[in-house]
Parts: sequence; structure tokens; C-alpha cells
Amino acid sequence: MKHTIALLLSLGTAGPLLAQGPAADLLQGKLPADAAAQVRAIAARATARALPAMPLVSKALEGAAKGVAPARIVAAVQALADQLTSSAGAIHDAGVAIPDSASVEAGAFALNAGLDAGQVRALAQAAGLTGQRATALRVAGTLAALGVPPKQTVNLVTRSLDSTADLNTLSAQVQAGMAHGKSAAAAAAGLTHGRPATPNPHRPATPRGGSRKP
Amino acid sequence: MREFHPLVKRWLDGELTADQLGAELAAELAEARALLSGVDHSPVTLGHELDQRVMAAVRSRPARRWQRAWRWIGEAHELRLRVRPWAVVALAAAATLVLMFAPARQSRAPAAVAQAPESVYVKFVLYAPGAHEVSVAGTFNGWDTHATPLARADAPGVWAATLSLPAGQHLYAFVVDGRRWVADPTAPGVDDGFGRRNSVLAVTPRGARVS
Repeated sequence: MKHTIALLLSLGTAGPLLAQGPAADLLQGKLPADAAAQVRAIAARATARALPAMPLVSKALEGAAKGVAPARIVAAVQALADQLTSSAGAIHDAGVAIPDSASVEAGAFALNAGLDAGQVRALAQAAGLTGQRATALRVAGTLAALGVPPKQTVNLVTRSLDSTADLNTLSAQVQAGMAHGKSAAAAAAGLTHGRPATPNPHRPATPRGGSRKP
Repeated sequence: MREFHPLVKRWLDGELTADQLGAELAAELAEARALLSGVDHSPVTLGHELDQRVMAAVRSRPARRWQRAWRWIGEAHELRLRVRPWAVVALAAAATLVLMFAPARQSRAPAAVAQAPESVYVKFVLYAPGAHEVSVAGTFNGWDTHATPLARADAPGVWAATLSLPAGQHLYAFVVDGRRWVADPTAPGVDDGFGRRNSVLAVTPRGARVS
């Protein structure tokens, strides 16, 4: 408990400094000064809440490279910050006291791809102690981006977490099915039905349908 | 009890000089000075007898339970250990069981190492007939449109570049002739927040997957 409080305090104090540090320096010369200041402020607020700042800076750089109007860049950065916040909240609700940056970023990606906060929370919960939380969320986002319906995506990833199957191969398999003329949903359905149910030895047994909160 | 003005208190504490106090506090200052003059500043010497009396009183107080326990821990004790042969066998079996379970716990470590950022070579290919220049920009190069140009491949209209990318997820798009942003038609895409699409690439330690 003491360590958690110390970590939160250190993140709370160091976060704003980091957001104004090297990552935010990347904005210099890429955005008008006032837009850069707004992006820095969003990043500082994010890091003060233990959210990753680099994706926000990267989004601003992307907008600048694409020649987007500064106001729209700031809006896109704010939208991403909101997704990061929702992602962190969903993962926290899954029983993770301090969500790691990779998982929060992957959760935001999944939200952007079409999953909702409840589905992100369900995936984070399903990943449990497997150490694959970020991977599961990233793969789910990719499947949704391919066009697999979110509910089916969550089902497929959860089943894969339950087995020894390599999560990273899922999207490639769906794409292979799509290359043969199947829809994304049909390709994913083939995986759902054909997936071997080999239990994952690293995953603690949990009752199906029950609460997995610690 | 006499209550002095806060500034006079600060003078008493040595934080202010008398000059810094206003004339209206002169009377209080004089009073405080008079009190101070009455203080005996001679050093106090405690007699040896007092020291002995105090220490005798301390030693006469019975030690508390935790104090006795702490003292016992610090003292040397003689321990006699009688071992039965079957107990030795049981201990050996227990140690074997612990060793059997230990590798199972450590088996996660290699997975963690494998998840550490590693670089993997990834080939980007775009069919863009008629293009004069093509580059790829993404999260891996700070969306720099000039950092990663593609070169003409052997086949007509095909552009390609091979990059070393760290494991993780990357978003990217091709830039044709410096102004036209083109999503990778072979990769899944997501909304970029600016009305266009970004392509998604996942690089795993075992190799890149357009996923």
C-alpha cells in the first residue's frame, strides 16, 4: 500500500515535468506556439494522471506532418487523451491497481478501433495474470480494425487467452481468410469454432462467467 | 502569565533585533529585557550522586516482556538437535518438491525477456505507378515524411523499403510525391482522427505481422 501511494505521488509530481520535457520538445517548430502549448498542457494533465504522454505528442506530430489545421490537431490530441483515460479506467475496473502504459495505449487503440469500455475491461479481466494484457487489447483492436464485430473479437481473444494459441497470429489468420474471399466476421468465426481448447498452463483457473476481480 | 507581542517573542527568539521593533513596543521590550536579566546564566553542573541515583532507579525497574525477548535473541544459547532418519528423508523430499516447482515459476521469465523490445526487419511495399517519390511515415519515425524513403523495386511501379523496427505496435501511412497520404492496402486501418486512415503494423519478437 505504501509503495502504491509512493508511486502515485511520484507519478503525480514527475508526470507534468515529463510532459514538458524531451517528449514535448519534439513539438518545437512543428506546431504554432499556441497549439504546441495546448498539446503540452493536455500531455501534462495526462501524465499527472499516470497516462502515457508519448502517444499524444505523436498524434500532434502526425497532424502537423499531414498538414492538418492546428485547432483540429489539438482536438484530435484531446480525443486521444480521452481514450487513454477511458482505457485506464476500464483496466482499473478490471482489478488492475496501476495500469501499465502499454496496456493503456493498447486499450485506447482498441477503443479507437470500435470496442467499448466494457469490452476493454472484459479483455483486461480475461488476460488476468497471463502477462498478455497489452497484447490481448492490441490484437483485439486490430481484429476490430479488420472488421471483426467487437463482440466476436472479445470472444475470440478471450478463447485464445484460455488456450496456448499465439494471440499474435489471430489477425494474420483472419486476414488469410479474408484473402480467400471471406468476410472478416466469417474468417474470425472459423477461428472461433476451430480453435483447439488447449488450456493455458500459466493462466489461473477461474470460474466461467464469474467475477475475476481479485 | 505574561503574553508578549509576537514581535517581542521573535526578539526573544533571536530572530529580530531591538531596532526592528517599533517605539510602541519599547515598554514591552524593556520588560522582556528585565525578565531576561533575572535569568541565571551560570552553567548547571549535575552532581555524580544524581547520576548514580538515576541509573539505579532505571535498573531497578523490571524489564518489559519485549525487552527480555530482545535480550534473549541477542544472547548465545545452546541448541540440541536430534534428527531421525525418516525426518531427513522427508526434508529431502520437500526440497525436491520445491525445486520441481521453482522452474515452473521461472518459466515466465523467458517470456518476459521475449517481450522486451527487440528490433525486427520489416519490408514496406507499395504499388504506386506514376509516383515520383514514395516514403513511409509513422509512429516509428515521428511521422517524418522525409526520414524513410522507399526505393523503386525491380517490378514496375513497385516501391519498397526495409526497416528495423522495435517490437510493438506501429501506425503508419505512405506519402506519395510528398503530399498524398496513402494507407497500406494490405494492412488493417484505423481512423487517424483527421479524416484519413492509418495502417496498423504489429511487430513481435518473432517477426512482423501486418496485424
